[in-house]
Amino acid sequence: MSPILHHFLMGCCILLGVGVILSMIRAVRGPRFTDRIVAVNMISTMTIVIMCILSVFLDADFLVDVCITYALLGFIAIVVLTRLVIIRRRGQQERELAESGHTTGEDLETAEGGEQGC
Amino acid sequence: MLREIIGGCMIALGVAVFVTAVAGVYRFKYVLNRMHAASLGDTLGMLLVLGGLIVISGFTALSVKLLAIIVFSWLAGPVMSHLIARAEVMTHAHIEDECEVIERVDHI
Repeated sequence: MSPILHHFLMGCCILLGVGVILSMIRAVRGPRFTDRIVAVNMISTMTIVIMCILSVFLDADFLVDVCITYALLGFIAIVVLTRLVIIRRRGQQERELAESGHTTGEDLETAEGGEQGC
Repeated sequence: MLREIIGGCMIALGVAVFVTAVAGVYRFKYVLNRMHAASLGDTLGMLLVLGGLIVISGFTALSVKLLAIIVFSWLAGPVMSHLIARAEVMTHAHIEDECEVIERVDHI
């Protein structure tokens, strides 16, 4: 590998690292939980790309296996999180439908409280 | 040498796509808009960077694994976006203010 490519890959890793930090700030600041999930998804993508670049940079094949595992784990984490929120919200809606006497104002309050918990 | 130049150009384009994705996530104001920018990096950025690495490393076991990561990312990205958007629409109290919503019953 030529020295120019060596420095170039290092610069790419640094740039992506800055992107990870900015996404982390977005995840902390995001007003809703879905903002946080989107930011965490971006962090996981950029981490995978950084690890792939490192595996070529250091000529270490085993890092790509770690990447595959990381991609699977990120996918499963997001699917489980969103499925939990969806199932919980659906149960809430069914309870509201069963009661069906209440006006919407109170129900919206509980929905907002549920978001904070998630 | 030519291989390294082509791969370097692809990696540079991919990193530019990631920078665009981060800028878009900061610039948009609502989650459903932000997801556009985020999934840009998931698909195109990953394809360009990992494709550049495949071009640099040549046909080895490493490049086959990188190809597997690209394929998995392209399959999993839309699923994740769909689930996140569904969770957002179901939990937002005033979703009608942000976008049009068609009420429907689903059994997933």
